Amino acid sequence: MNEHNDENRTERRGGTEIATDGGSDRDVVELPHQIELPRLLDFYELQTEETTKISEFYDNLADGQLTTTRCTECDELHFPPRIVCPECHSDDLEYVDLPHEGELFAFSTVRAGAPMGMEDEVPFVLGIVDLGDVRLSAHVDNAEYEDLEIGDAVEMKIVEIDGPVDHERVFYRFEPQE
Amino acid sequence: MTRNVGIVGGGHTKWGVREASYKDLIQEAGKATFEDVPDVTPDDIEGLFVGSVQPERFAFQTHVAPMVAELLGIDVDSMIARTELACASGQAALRYAWLAIAAGQIDTALVLGVEKMNLPREYTPEAQTSMANVMDREFDGVNGFNAPPYFAMIAQRHMHEYDTTREQLALVAAKNKTHAANNAFAQFQKEVSVEDVVDSFPLSPPLCLFDCSGVTDGAAGLILMSEEKAREVTDEAAWITGSGQTCLSSNSINNLPSMSAWPQATQAAEQAYEQAGIDDPLKELDVAEVHDCFSISEIVEYEDLGWVEKGEGGQFVEDGRSELDGDIAVNPRGGLLGCGHPLGATGVSQALEVFNQFRGTVEPERQVPDPETGLIHNLSGSASVHSVMTLARGRQ
Repeated sequence: MNEHNDENRTERRGGTEIATDGGSDRDVVELPHQIELPRLLDFYELQTEETTKISEFYDNLADGQLTTTRCTECDELHFPPRIVCPECHSDDLEYVDLPHEGELFAFSTVRAGAPMGMEDEVPFVLGIVDLGDVRLSAHVDNAEYEDLEIGDAVEMKIVEIDGPVDHERVFYRFEPQE
Repeated sequence: MTRNVGIVGGGHTKWGVREASYKDLIQEAGKATFEDVPDVTPDDIEGLFVGSVQPERFAFQTHVAPMVAELLGIDVDSMIARTELACASGQAALRYAWLAIAAGQIDTALVLGVEKMNLPREYTPEAQTSMANVMDREFDGVNGFNAPPYFAMIAQRHMHEYDTTREQLALVAAKNKTHAANNAFAQFQKEVSVEDVVDSFPLSPPLCLFDCSGVTDGAAGLILMSEEKAREVTDEAAWITGSGQTCLSSNSINNLPSMSAWPQATQAAEQAYEQAGIDDPLKELDVAEVHDCFSISEIVEYEDLGWVEKGEGGQFVEDGRSELDGDIAVNPRGGLLGCGHPLGATGVSQALEVFNQFRGTVEPERQVPDPETGLIHNLSGSASVHSVMTLARGRQ
């Protein structure tokens, strides 16, 4: 990236250099000085029936129940939820409840290098939760790495996602059981 | 019916935090690669295979293979492709170039791996978002599941199930970083002790900062030729003797076969060993460049590449069996831990290292004594894909 010393002529905003008026008669091409969150960097983008065919998963979660799909043809249980069974390619799937309590199978802490939207939560505990038939990754809230052990009992909580869209969005997290 | 394929030359950029653009890195590696084989020119290249993972995010550029052709003056007359297989993209490019030549479609190919990863610091969260999306964005990436916590959990499970120790992890990092101290292109050229590793920042416990590979800008290139053509330009080609690759219908956390073993690595290695006629890899392999993206990875790989029994990987490094003078010299280049890991370039650089070990052109401090056979290994994403290639100095 070029470094210009003449501050009257250039300023750096978001990695882009733009000519500003410093007595130059050059035309100025304006870029926005602040770039909004790019849509594709919003992790919770796909939850509604307009954007995904597994919107029922999110509807169920908003209603307080963690679910996933099971194939009515071969009985395979999937996670993440699917619209086509990976085992037999049937599209006759049904939503079934998952337990809200499980055990910590593995865990660590993110102390740096968090993705967008999570920088303010650092350090946070991330875990793999064993729900019996399904193992899923999740934030483990209200916990310190040093206090946790493999096998600890954890329970699901539902969080609301507040962000750049108007409709209600939710996701699941876990926390140690009382 | 397949044909023999040899690596006849290769070149490298300096790796690290580079004051250079994505296009600069391509040009540097291309120049170094062609300069290594004076008898091969861009006019000879019939197939171009580019390994690159996230140029759309890190360099905001797509359709990168034609860009490489333009920058290096190559009129591609048969095959041009970019491969994206996360951290194994470089080996994937190499594998497809090998297949194209082995199948008789072309005689000469350029393989180039390149990644520009270091962005101004304010863009770190954006870059990390891309890295987290290597796994299932909707259900794993969303939780901040990028590489360090994932491999930390592999380490935790391996320690839990097999009593692997924190010190054994550190031995891997200290070994590889010390090799890199004698590697002129490596990102981290400083000898590191076990204590240094254990005392480094606890990034994602049980892994510390020195258990993790870096964020790296870099590129590397290789020229591959059919045996007939190769013999016209060099008498010291490295021959590709086997290549395997597996993915067990899994990418997201719930569907991985294990959090302490990589059966995909075992299957990919068995494919390559069978093609190469290797019965006892521990005895028959002299040098190996394996994917030590994190220290724990190398320990799991000793086991799942079939060198020791499951659970004995930690003891393998503790007993010095992966040192330069051990059973198999593992990561004499310095590994990803010492060289850094410009995603698309790593597999290409590993193969170049084996080639250079065969022809004796690496720094003397890290030269393996007279190696005849070698292996490169890469994993990608949540270690859901494993790629293994075997190489030999001469043809039997």
